[in-house]
Amino acid sequence: MTPDRPKGDAAARALAGIRVVDLTVWFQGPVAAQLLADFGAEVIKVERPQGGDPGRGVRSIRALPVGDWNQYFLVINRNKKSVALDLKKPGGRAIMDRLVERSDVFLSNLGAESLAAWDLGYERLCRLNPRLVYATTTGYGPFGNVDKPSFDMTVQALTGLMARLGEPGEPPIYLGMGSGDACGGLLAALGILLALHHRRRTGRGQRVDASLYGAQLFLAAPWLQGYLATGSDRYSKQRSRKTPERPLRNTFPTRDGWLFLCMGEDDESWSRVCGAVGDVDLEKEALFQGAEQRRRHAQQLVERLDAILARRTASEWMERFEPYGVLASPIRTLADLARDPQAWANEYLLETWCEEVRRWVAIRGFPVGLGATPGRVDSLGPELGEQTELVLLETLGYSWDEIGAFKEERAIP
Amino acid sequence: VGDVSDAAPGGFARALGDLLVLDLTTEFCSGVATGFLADFGALVVRVEELPAARERRARARDADPEAGWDFLGELAHRNKRSLAVDLEAAPGAEILRGLLRRADALVTDWPRARLEERGLAYRDLSGARPDLVYARASGFGPKGPDRDLPALDELAAARTGMMPILPQPGAPPVYAAAGPMYTAALLAFGVLAALHHRAETGTGQEVDASLLAGNMYGASLDLQAYLAMGGERFLRPLARLDAGNPMSGVLYRASDGRWVCLTMPETDRWWPGLAGLAGLDPADPRFDSHEKRCGASRLELIRVLEDVFRRRPASEWKAELDARRLSADVVEEFAFPAEDPQARRNRYVLALDHPSRGPIKTLGFPIFLSEAAARLRSPAPALGQHSAQLLHELLGFPEARIAELAASGVIESA
Repeated sequence: MTPDRPKGDAAARALAGIRVVDLTVWFQGPVAAQLLADFGAEVIKVERPQGGDPGRGVRSIRALPVGDWNQYFLVINRNKKSVALDLKKPGGRAIMDRLVERSDVFLSNLGAESLAAWDLGYERLCRLNPRLVYATTTGYGPFGNVDKPSFDMTVQALTGLMARLGEPGEPPIYLGMGSGDACGGLLAALGILLALHHRRRTGRGQRVDASLYGAQLFLAAPWLQGYLATGSDRYSKQRSRKTPERPLRNTFPTRDGWLFLCMGEDDESWSRVCGAVGDVDLEKEALFQGAEQRRRHAQQLVERLDAILARRTASEWMERFEPYGVLASPIRTLADLARDPQAWANEYLLETWCEEVRRWVAIRGFPVGLGATPGRVDSLGPELGEQTELVLLETLGYSWDEIGAFKEERAIP
Repeated sequence: VGDVSDAAPGGFARALGDLLVLDLTTEFCSGVATGFLADFGALVVRVEELPAARERRARARDADPEAGWDFLGELAHRNKRSLAVDLEAAPGAEILRGLLRRADALVTDWPRARLEERGLAYRDLSGARPDLVYARASGFGPKGPDRDLPALDELAAARTGMMPILPQPGAPPVYAAAGPMYTAALLAFGVLAALHHRAETGTGQEVDASLLAGNMYGASLDLQAYLAMGGERFLRPLARLDAGNPMSGVLYRASDGRWVCLTMPETDRWWPGLAGLAGLDPADPRFDSHEKRCGASRLELIRVLEDVFRRRPASEWKAELDARRLSADVVEEFAFPAEDPQARRNRYVLALDHPSRGPIKTLGFPIFLSEAAARLRSPAPALGQHSAQLLHELLGFPEARIAELAASGVIESA
């Protein structure tokens, strides 16, 4: 007898009860808090009253105008509350302190000088609240003496990953807008959960950091670990698809686009590929007998397959591959992904209501699934300071009189 | 094994010292996910299935015949224990059931059909263990028409839509192999979120991550921009010299063929410094506003900078850029982080004396915790290195019983 699956409470949130002060801007820091908020943490984004997070001001991407809703800010900051606070005013600092006292996590990606200027360093905040998890996302790590600007692509340039990719002689390749920030933010969120687990056992918080540099070295691991182990150019230099190490796991142009062929090096895989492309001579050819020969003559093999695969379209090849168990995929575009049923079925993409334009919009969904406590998008990013009064009143327990005094001081708008 | 690279900062506590995790995985990606848990002190038992594990390890060792050792496995499986067991044999299946009674979390990447056949699907286990966290990595997620496609990152990357737009126009699509790393961190995040929920409520649940989700997560900003804005410019590569902002996200070639990378998105802030570096007048009327630099004079500024950077070698540019505190750097190869004191100081790269390999370098720990830092406590285990110890400590098997299981080939004990 198979026991029934335990019924999840539809309203249950995995991280309910965790309160996060989110003092971050742009992407790497905010996305860490977004991951926590998607699973039920209460995230209070603290922003300067003038303009707030500069991510609110993004006007163009890839030299195209962002259009009628600022998806850049609104999606990264979904499920959050916004409190506008002037940290240069004593009242702003007092509010921040009370927020820190009543929160579980403080998260920031501001520079160490800014944090010091506002007296928001680790030592003081952890005295204020010994249970606080104090998390930062830095550029180059919490130790050492590298202190320079750290935008995503410049840090990626240092890791060696960009120099490794692309055809020999081509310019280095950047993995895409915010590719390293996404990794750093995710690792910061993971670090915060590690520290919260430890706190449950000890009653004490601690400092957490995930840097852009560390995250991007980690991203490069599939090649970088090989380089560290061997020191070999095979891992660090650009390598042409025409002379691959594994010729049957390679990209190939078809009549109408590229295919990624994903087969092993064994004879069985080879036989299937030859059968699927319908070339009996190829399978018998002496140059390509055995995995070792195929590797040695990879260049000739790729030339032969290039010539053959160019004869039909990618979808024709996919049909022919299927009965032979040949694994491959057409190399798709973002437009294909946007209508990929697999992405929608798993909520990697979803639709949500956008109040700003009063229509349903497509957004990236949840990159990890929790069966009983699934991620949820209750709201897109807040307006600047949208919950300032609410948080001061309900979360921090200030009276209307006190709130009025803060306004007079211009600590809050 | 000694972590001899630096005096390791951070406290010695184990953040996850109270957890027992069963690692029933075969792929690098899911191995790295449980590796995070092991690095932070969970007892991670890598259940290696006999006899297949012997061949799998041999293949991994020979993946780079010149290296002759499994350096990716070393990264994924450090700090874990190995239990080698024949799960087809009745006593082997009983051992797994015993471990499942004790485990806080199970992490697997086995195909669904295989898990069901072995009675290891979530619904098979959750009745007896409603508090179990059950995590599975797959290629394409637990739902949808392609949920049973194999977990190959190349297939997932091909589906994600970034491969065609990474290179220069006309060049072949680019495979970056970063998908498994995003996915590994996502799976570990999901496990810890579920453990948090369990600590609050006593209830476990299923967790899933996939290579498709991981690749999509890495492409977040381009993907979301395309979803909202559309446009051909997201579907084909942009030429290097067609950058939207000549000062940000652009590569220029130095006289020695190396590349300089500029990231100065708010050009007003950086222009005086960059103009000085380039020998231009900051008040040059062609370039004296952000609107001109990124608008009417955009292509002209790109041409000017292209010409300027070709005049001197990259090392000289780097010195100049650093001196002027500009947001830019020279594109480096892996030799740079391998030797970089900053990477060592933060333990992103470790140099250590490996018990069987001697002095080696390996990737370290991308997350820092001040009171419970990740540690290299032991290298990746040999096949079955801890079989006897684990059966004794976790299941209370007497020595004679362990010897009998080893003699009959149900377990391998190194």
